[in-house]
Amino acid sequence: MVTCEQLTLKVERDLGLDPRKLSAHLVSVGECSDRSAFKALFDHFAPRLKSFYIRSGSSEPFAEELVQETFMSIWRKAGLYDPAKAAASTWIFTIARNLRIDRLRKEGRFVQKEEFFFEQAMVEEGDQEAYVDQGVIGEAVEVALTQLPSNQAEVIKLSFYEHATHAEIASRLQLPLGTVKSRLRLAFGRLRTLLADLEQ
Amino acid sequence: MINHHPSDETILSYAAGAMSAASRLFVSSHLSVCESCRERVRTAEVVGGVLLNDIECTPVSADAFDQLMARIDSNAVETSAVNGVGTSSSKVASADMVGLPEPLQLLLDGGFDELKWKTVAPGVKQYPLPVDVLPGEKVRLLKLSPGFVTPEHSHHGHEMTMVLKGSFSDETGRYKAGDVQEMDGSVHHQPIADTEEDCICLVVTDAPLQFKGVINKLLQPFIGF
Ligand SMILES: [Zn+2]
Repeated sequence: MVTCEQLTLKVERDLGLDPRKLSAHLVSVGECSDRSAFKALFDHFAPRLKSFYIRSGSSEPFAEELVQETFMSIWRKAGLYDPAKAAASTWIFTIARNLRIDRLRKEGRFVQKEEFFFEQAMVEEGDQEAYVDQGVIGEAVEVALTQLPSNQAEVIKLSFYEHATHAEIASRLQLPLGTVKSRLRLAFGRLRTLLADLEQ
Repeated sequence: MINHHPSDETILSYAAGAMSAASRLFVSSHLSVCESCRERVRTAEVVGGVLLNDIECTPVSADAFDQLMARIDSNAVETSAVNGVGTSSSKVASADMVGLPEPLQLLLDGGFDELKWKTVAPGVKQYPLPVDVLPGEKVRLLKLSPGFVTPEHSHHGHEMTMVLKGSFSDETGRYKAGDVQEMDGSVHHQPIADTEEDCICLVVTDAPLQFKGVINKLLQPFIGF
């Protein structure tokens, strides 16, 4: 039996697996319901997803339940995953984000079919672009994020980890709304320039 | 051809899931008709993936994986049923709804002609959409009669407008079906429905608009903009 105290102490950084390996595991789950690949994905992502949900305001037991639900979705939807279009972490992020919107935001979703609609759109398009390895893109974005000025990285993290709206970020950081927006705009502009360079 | 798109900060917050339900409805309505913005969202989602990978680890309970597999095995039948969601849509789009963004179609009971529009001022009708909103936020369809000139106004908060039918023009340009206008703070503008047909827009506002001039101020409580 692990106590809460031990749990907190055990929180640590884990560099985890190579992105290409994670993608390959996800493909195996989709193609042949590969349980050992699924276990590898679980070992890598479950502790991260649990932190993700806790940062979104969920209690620890509920975060654990949401991790279970996330993996049930992954198991069901893995057949839709295309490694040419998204890294495993990106694809799993979108599942977790949608689940979070569905379960944690009090105003809820406007319509339950939204997610399905965009999954279809994701599957059908994106072939026409020049092929760039998703692992390479992920690495480039990771480097770019570490190079952002700290005030831009801060608003990005508040958006993605704590789903803070522009107005919420402004009040949290005591900044004018326009400043929050321009920081987000600058950060995104920088990432896009970088990705455009990769595609050439 | 769509010429006006949501801002980068709006796309980023959409990808982050950091938006009200009304704003999500707005952005996804635009995405459903705009491939280039779907591509922008995919780019922003890469950031989400990288941040998910970079987050600290919180251990899950020791038997979490076994529990998960037990649930998956007992759910085996449900799997295919869940995959069928969306293909079994019982709603048949009326002729008037063809070409409407799909997220909106799912919210509306009928085409534009069948909606119960309420007149808010001569030449302006509105239809509030059934979406839960944040305090001070509004999400609705607005219908401007041909040639209707909106009283000049400015914005205290944020306003996002997407044209669904017809078109309008203001100082910043011409907006046609699919085009998005985002307005902030102190911008004054005076949109005009500029063709022979009604101009119908999806509009999300997060604070009341301020009208210029005494007459317009008298109108304001009515219009409830
Ligand atoms: Zn667009």
